Amino acid sequence: MDKEFNILKYSDYDLDDFLADEFFISWAKNPDGKEGHFWGKWIAENPDHRETVMVAASIIRSLGLEKRPTLSDKAYLEIFENVLRYESFSEPTHPLTKEKNAWLKWFKFHKVAATLLFAFCAWAVIQVYINDSPEELPAPPVQWNVRENSAGFRSSLKLNDGSIITLNSNSKLTFPEQFSDTLRLVKLEGEAFFDIKENGSPFIVELGGTNVEVLGTTFNVRYPMNGELSVALVSGKVKVKDESGNQVILKPSEMLKIHQNGELSLTSFDPMEVVGWKDKLLVFRKSGKQEIIQKISSWYGVTVTCECQKQESWAYTGEYQDESLPNVLEGIKRALDIDYEISGKQVTLSTRKR
Amino acid sequence: MPDELVWASFNKGNEATFNFLYKSFAASLFAFGYQFCGDAHLVEDCIQNLFIYIRKRRGHLGEVHSIKSYLFKSLRCEITKRLKERGLLVDADQMQYAEAFSIALSPETILIESESRERTQEKVNQALSQLTVRQRQALQLLYEEEMSYSQISEVMGFTEVKSARKLVYRALSSLKEIFLKK
Repeated sequence: MDKEFNILKYSDYDLDDFLADEFFISWAKNPDGKEGHFWGKWIAENPDHRETVMVAASIIRSLGLEKRPTLSDKAYLEIFENVLRYESFSEPTHPLTKEKNAWLKWFKFHKVAATLLFAFCAWAVIQVYINDSPEELPAPPVQWNVRENSAGFRSSLKLNDGSIITLNSNSKLTFPEQFSDTLRLVKLEGEAFFDIKENGSPFIVELGGTNVEVLGTTFNVRYPMNGELSVALVSGKVKVKDESGNQVILKPSEMLKIHQNGELSLTSFDPMEVVGWKDKLLVFRKSGKQEIIQKISSWYGVTVTCECQKQESWAYTGEYQDESLPNVLEGIKRALDIDYEISGKQVTLSTRKR
Repeated sequence: MPDELVWASFNKGNEATFNFLYKSFAASLFAFGYQFCGDAHLVEDCIQNLFIYIRKRRGHLGEVHSIKSYLFKSLRCEITKRLKERGLLVDADQMQYAEAFSIALSPETILIESESRERTQEKVNQALSQLTVRQRQALQLLYEEEMSYSQISEVMGFTEVKSARKLVYRALSSLKEIFLKK
């Protein structure tokens, strides 16, 4: 790249030399970039080259595909979803994958899949599809519904297979209008409690790259933005499969956490603390400052700020059944010896003044 | 951030990086891949396979110096493989798709001080259409995709960067003649 500093050299340049010069092209495409200063100066010092330089720059900027094809928004999303879904127990009702080649490819990939079970699933999927013969029976495009709760709202919904899902605040559930006969797939961001009706086809909850698969069961899934994922099983049996292909089968009253570094941990759990929310129970268990703020703001849909000393460590334990915000704050105030103030949607906690 | 670091982060399994890669390159990969066949479905399918492949291979992927040229090259290989399977492609220079890499100056171009702007532009476009498919491809990658010669060499499968330079020089010298003739 010595040419970059060889100012003299450019005075011998002709149109095609400029057009071929990486340093010049980079300036032509981004005149405000780091090369801007050099070329501004050079053109001022070499006025006889000005026209050539301008023509070259304008060719570089305006040359392109005559008709630049664009990827449709629909295809953009479909490809992305298919890629993410690929590693999972995949739901191949996708119009893009209708080509036979794609199915053969599937089979090839799955032959090297790590676990027997995964291979079995792929085999089952392929069997179903070969029997279904996609050419004869094109799968109808799946209509997706979305239910989203902002902070302060919780809701329940009954799916067409009879399963009941309770969705917590700050959570989003995407589910098909109609489940297919072979697979029930929903996508979750946030937290939800699932009461799944057994009907022979697996029910899969997709959480980013992780999947929870069940037959008939009750369990809680928590997958907050930027947080650790947890699956707590109340009854029945679920299988959790993470992004790296690890697979864990949970027994009732076991909770699996997938930490942000990818590590898994299996523990028991306090049902009231973990699934109490679906019965309008707000639970604190030795909760620290951050946890208290987070729980109150998402439960009541308020903004909580704290004007307190940093070094203070709080450990608050308490339970509130369908209680109002002032009552909860009153309880916390007494236990922790703090003050609070509510003004509209704004809550301020502060160290008690003595 | 340098490509090496982005790639390493993707290789480690960072989902946000994967999303970033898809978002950054899906559209330009599509426009590029389309040039080989003019078949949107085939290109979409190949892009899907490409991303499935790299996502599956996370943790085992080698070093990549330019993510863009790596992805472009991989897509080109995937599409040509598929076209060969269908008997639609014998040799990379003999593309069946008539409009492969048709490039032109966009109409709003201002070629300063040329006595007849429209005629000059027409002449350039005429000359561009007479270039070989590979010459047009190299120019499109160089200007529109803002690739370096070494990235172009990777995409087009040259072992030496020199070959990409030669290809571009040859294309440009025929463009230059038009300007001298005026």
